[in-house]
Amino acid sequence: MTAISNNNIAEAIYLAAKDSKEEVQFFKKVIHFLVRKRLLSKSKEILLHLNKIINDVEGRIMVKVSSQRKLNENSKKEIIQVLSRRYGGKNIILEEKLDEKLLGGYKIEANWEVIDLTIKNKLGKLQEYLTRAS
Amino acid sequence: MNSNHIVENLKREIENFTAETKIEKVGKVLQIFDGIAKVSGLSEIKSSEMVIFPSGVTGVALNLEDDSVGVIILDDFSKIKEGDEVASTGKILEVPVSNEILGRVVNAIGKPIDGKGAIKTEKSYPIEKVAPGVVTRLSVSEPVATGIKVIDAIIPVGRGQRELIIGDRQTGKTALAIDSILNQKGQKMICVYVSIGQKDSKLRKIQTRLEEGGAMEYTVIVSAGASEAAAMSYIAPYTGVSIAEYFMDQGKDVLIIYDDLSKHAVAYREISLLLRRPPGREAYPGDVFYLHSRLLERACRRNEKYGGGSITAMPIIETQAGDISAYIPTNVISITDGQIFLETDLFYKGIRPAVNVGSSVSRVGSSAQIKAMKKVAGTLKLDLAQFRELEAFSQFGSDLDEATKRTLERGKRAVEVLKQLQYSPIKTENQVVTLYALTKGLMDDVSVEKIKEFEQGLTEYAERNAKVFYKQIVEKKMWDDKGEEELKKVIEDFKKNFS
Repeated sequence: MTAISNNNIAEAIYLAAKDSKEEVQFFKKVIHFLVRKRLLSKSKEILLHLNKIINDVEGRIMVKVSSQRKLNENSKKEIIQVLSRRYGGKNIILEEKLDEKLLGGYKIEANWEVIDLTIKNKLGKLQEYLTRAS
Repeated sequence: MNSNHIVENLKREIENFTAETKIEKVGKVLQIFDGIAKVSGLSEIKSSEMVIFPSGVTGVALNLEDDSVGVIILDDFSKIKEGDEVASTGKILEVPVSNEILGRVVNAIGKPIDGKGAIKTEKSYPIEKVAPGVVTRLSVSEPVATGIKVIDAIIPVGRGQRELIIGDRQTGKTALAIDSILNQKGQKMICVYVSIGQKDSKLRKIQTRLEEGGAMEYTVIVSAGASEAAAMSYIAPYTGVSIAEYFMDQGKDVLIIYDDLSKHAVAYREISLLLRRPPGREAYPGDVFYLHSRLLERACRRNEKYGGGSITAMPIIETQAGDISAYIPTNVISITDGQIFLETDLFYKGIRPAVNVGSSVSRVGSSAQIKAMKKVAGTLKLDLAQFRELEAFSQFGSDLDEATKRTLERGKRAVEVLKQLQYSPIKTENQVVTLYALTKGLMDDVSVEKIKEFEQGLTEYAERNAKVFYKQIVEKKMWDDKGEEELKKVIEDFKKNFS
């Protein structure tokens, strides 16, 4: 028997939601279904997949940018430009996060990919290089 | 080195450093338990690919599922938290290798654990590799001198062979393996001892024994201790064979010992059950045969065109109450080219090494014996088999004919000759002399109690006085009439003075 993955469930919910007219009624049904199948504990992951499916269909990409200081408009524009080239002209939505520990630079996370341009990462790599055995 | 020098060196190193920024494929830890992590993301990961957790801990992706990946963690997993980022590397797990690894004790991922500092490494070898193909191989024809009479004479092991050592607990399996390593001194052989799930005290004892015997110079110990995670025990033999392959690629002969594969199978069972793979017979997963066959298939002898060199594998299997028909023993028996079967009964009877000659075989070994050994040991197995049969039979009757008595007496002496103390491997030449004296009936008039004393005295005496015979064995691997005459005379001379 093939196990049903969270992704399968998210896809099913999305397809059913597209056809349904009564929104409130529909989501009640979905919750009933999750309770009946004992999947409520996995709702967080299912929601994550659902989010991804909707973003894919609507041509959106959520991008998390972490930096030590707030990004200026130019940097943001540059990031959006580079990413929309990489992901084939999709609509890029930036989600900013401040993190003191990064020391400088920024880290971009999108589509399970990471581009780490922070000082913290570079220092880590330098440490690895200097402490290598040879 | 003064502080200025250190600063200068550091500056130079930092100047050489260039930080490359790559796009990394990452995932997130969903769940972490018992050395296993469930990771989301990592959609393009390959099976057996190495992943890196934020604390620098490495893992190996084993289960690729629809929306998550099952990763085994190869270090302390207590540092990893739910939600941690996991980066894929695009590489199969590798171990660092170099000639400097000889004489060292490393863990399952090749890191030194003997407190002797870092090992300078030249390159890395992947731990999973397809075994050498049929065109690169050569049939087994050169012996591995284990220094144990019963093995070298009756169950010979050749370079590139896979010979299983099987028996209950406390029957001397490890002792046999360690003796074989000790005897490789001066035989142009590199040894790799893989300790899987063993107590650290036992490992320490083995290491000390090898150091005392001067065997650590050509030996590497790979250890996955009993206190380490099952994942370490699972990969340790693969790490061992990768190190062996590094030396084989230099055209060297390598002897690798897996001590033991029953614990390896148990570790793999633990991992598989935690990864929720369906259990089969004795709760082992379906691919437990492949687990061992792909490991042992990497033992081989390569032909000159492909660089020569060989890997001889001696896996060890521990049986429960002598049951060799259990799942893992039958699997490994069918994979290997023969087995050395050790028995508790024989051990407590004082026959040590407790090898059951009847149940032990070497499927390719006889072609790997030197001619002289083949000549003296040819009838030994038959003699012993006849002896065992008659021994049981003779318990009921008192009147025996002369021929039976002779066979019984010869058999008693053969059993006595094949006994050997632990950590005392014997040179092939000395083995040939002893077995010559035995099979030619020259020991028949020595009392059974004095056989050991006779044997020791004879080999010492012959080594001094039968120089031509010894030279012929070392150089031509066989004696001629002149050598034989000399040896016969030496044995007779010795017997005259022996009382």
